[in-house]
Amino acid sequence: MKLQIDRLNKSYGNKQVLKDITFTFESGKIYGLIGKNGVGKTTFFNCLNGDIDIDSGKFLIIDNDNERQLETDDIGYVVSTPVVPEFLTAREFLQFFIDINKESINSDKTIDDYFQMVKIDEGDQNKLLRDYSHGMKNKMQILINLIANPKIMLLDEPLTSLDIVVQDGMKTLFKKLKKDHIIIFSTHILELAMDLCDEIIILNDKSMKLIEKSDLTIAEYKNKIINSLRDNENV
Amino acid sequence: MFDILKISFKIDIAYAFNSIIYIFSKLPFFKDVINYDTYNNFILKKIIGFVAIVLTCLRLILYRLMYFGSIYLLAKFINNQYLNSSFVFIYIIFAFIGLVINVNLLSASRKKYFSIILFRMDAKRYMISDLLFGLLISFVLNFVSFLFCSMFIDFSFFTIISLCLLSLFCRVVGEAISIYFYNKFQYLLTSKYKLTFSYVLLLLASCFLCKIGFYVSSNILFLILFIMFIFVIKSFYYILSFNNYKAIYKKINTDKTAMNDKNSDVYMRQMMVEIKNKDKVIDEKKLTGKHGYDLFNTIFFERHKEILLRSSKNYSLICAVFIFLTIILFKVFPGFSTELNKMLHQKIGIFVIIMYFINRGSIVTQAMFYNCDHAMLTFNFYKNAVVILNLFKKRLFMIIKINLLPAFVIAFGTIVLLYFSGGTIFINYIMIPLFIILLSIFFSVHYLVIYYLLQPFNKNLEIKKVSYSFVSMITYFISYTIIDVKMSSLLFSTLGLVFTTFYIFISLFLVYKYAPKTFRINN
Repeated sequence: MKLQIDRLNKSYGNKQVLKDITFTFESGKIYGLIGKNGVGKTTFFNCLNGDIDIDSGKFLIIDNDNERQLETDDIGYVVSTPVVPEFLTAREFLQFFIDINKESINSDKTIDDYFQMVKIDEGDQNKLLRDYSHGMKNKMQILINLIANPKIMLLDEPLTSLDIVVQDGMKTLFKKLKKDHIIIFSTHILELAMDLCDEIIILNDKSMKLIEKSDLTIAEYKNKIINSLRDNENV
Repeated sequence: MFDILKISFKIDIAYAFNSIIYIFSKLPFFKDVINYDTYNNFILKKIIGFVAIVLTCLRLILYRLMYFGSIYLLAKFINNQYLNSSFVFIYIIFAFIGLVINVNLLSASRKKYFSIILFRMDAKRYMISDLLFGLLISFVLNFVSFLFCSMFIDFSFFTIISLCLLSLFCRVVGEAISIYFYNKFQYLLTSKYKLTFSYVLLLLASCFLCKIGFYVSSNILFLILFIMFIFVIKSFYYILSFNNYKAIYKKINTDKTAMNDKNSDVYMRQMMVEIKNKDKVIDEKKLTGKHGYDLFNTIFFERHKEILLRSSKNYSLICAVFIFLTIILFKVFPGFSTELNKMLHQKIGIFVIIMYFINRGSIVTQAMFYNCDHAMLTFNFYKNAVVILNLFKKRLFMIIKINLLPAFVIAFGTIVLLYFSGGTIFINYIMIPLFIILLSIFFSVHYLVIYYLLQPFNKNLEIKKVSYSFVSMITYFISYTIIDVKMSSLLFSTLGLVFTTFYIFISLFLVYKYAPKTFRINN
């Protein structure tokens, strides 16, 4: 499966944020999206997710030579600041989610299994989500996206608020998931991106570029990425 | 369709139940009894869920009766002689106003974000079940309200059914138009405020046509209903055949709108204190020669000029116009001046509630927290006792100054009104205005002191302290009940002066003693 982005353009007023972006993402890979603050990473995700109108361009899904437009249900979006129904308990939230999506969930896991996946203890399961920390809310957000199992997962800084044990578990999970999914992962932590992602793409000067690793050592690759980000500053 | 409605209800009930338990968990006795397992108590859930449903039904009936009451009063005001016909005429006009403003399928709400985006409900099924359920509820409420109104006005059964159906038809057509507009032009029709406002104003003005004999006979009503029925068929077809709901909902209900639900008090509060564009650039001259916290406070004031000073100026202007009009009324209705003079001698407690409403202290403290303190309080130097008290002093003078403008207008206006309405003893010309000025200072001090002593807000401007809500409630209650106190104005103003002076000194003492410990961030 491929996600093809064809000549994507997006401006806010007179300010162009994304210019003629053409890129193809493939399943089986985790893509690390890196860019400086305010460069348009979240805008790019919002465009893909259909949260905002694009000026021009196309998003296509290519699966076994079948080509079709990207649909909203193809995408699961984990936002950096999770918004959850604060006056539901975590257990209720999960129960309602499973009830609503029971026809599309292909799994025989129980609610307890799901909580186990993200290491949420029994004591916390009946807590109101408003009493959850940012990291815990994020866990719930990632969890429902894992259950919904969309073809494409957009992850906006998803791991930074999680404790290291859950981070490690999530990394393993994403690595397992990538076989049938396209995972695009935005982060400011280069080490995390290099550790988890198969490809690093940078968003710089309104365009998107794949940074080839080739035969470079980790240190050389890291320098190459940083220099690519700096390129624009030196102009 | 029913499964979506059923689960939507379940979520609403769980939400209501948990909110109630949460509120109780913050109260002194209950907080020891309630724990996280309470949220899972099946029997309690059923009981509170039932009570919540009953209360919601009562609230809906009450709102609908108020709506009918407004139509009734307007009809009575415009043409009492033909009350029945006027009511029907105005009801129809209101139904057509609703066609534009009573559409909510595409409105942004936290609930829609949760249901469609987070829970991934099927947007079309959600929307259609929401519409059909809304129509059913609306029909029942209108029917019940008409039965209630039948006690005062004689309606035929045909009229009742026709009018109930007309409301539903208008809603369906309105929703279809709204979806059509969004799909074609990417904006909500109601977001064009000028257009919506003109439409509403025009139709409201047309209500007065029944004053000159415009009515809707049964035949005309039937004709309107028939025409609308044709539009309803077309509208339903459009609504059902449209498939792009999820894409539209995603654009309207983003995570930001969910966080800032437009219906929530918190969102309203945040909008109220948001820095206005014209204040973003400060005239450098205003900052010349200022240093340290003096500069800090000046920047705060200049950045909030629009929020702080505009309403203060507006209030002053409204008060001045009101006083001027009152003097004109003295000439037109001579008896009125005697009544007002009597009131100013016996019931000057009314100035307490007036000054309560005019005072900007509450908004100023919210602006202070939202745009300044919640960030600054994360730094240790800002929590230093000397800094807190130094800034408190500067802010106190600032708030007093802001509120003094309307206070002076009211004080001066009262002297003028006293003089033109028949005069009073000399000492009243001094004591009453002095009391008004001191009341203004009192409320300014009060709001700032409770802010520093109770600091109730979290970073989203939600009130997290019950004690603050309690003090605010008591302040309003006392200000309101004091209206009815009958006492000579001289005695009232003297007692008022003593009390407010005493209160100001005590509260300032408390701030100096406790604010360094209490002025902190709430998480």
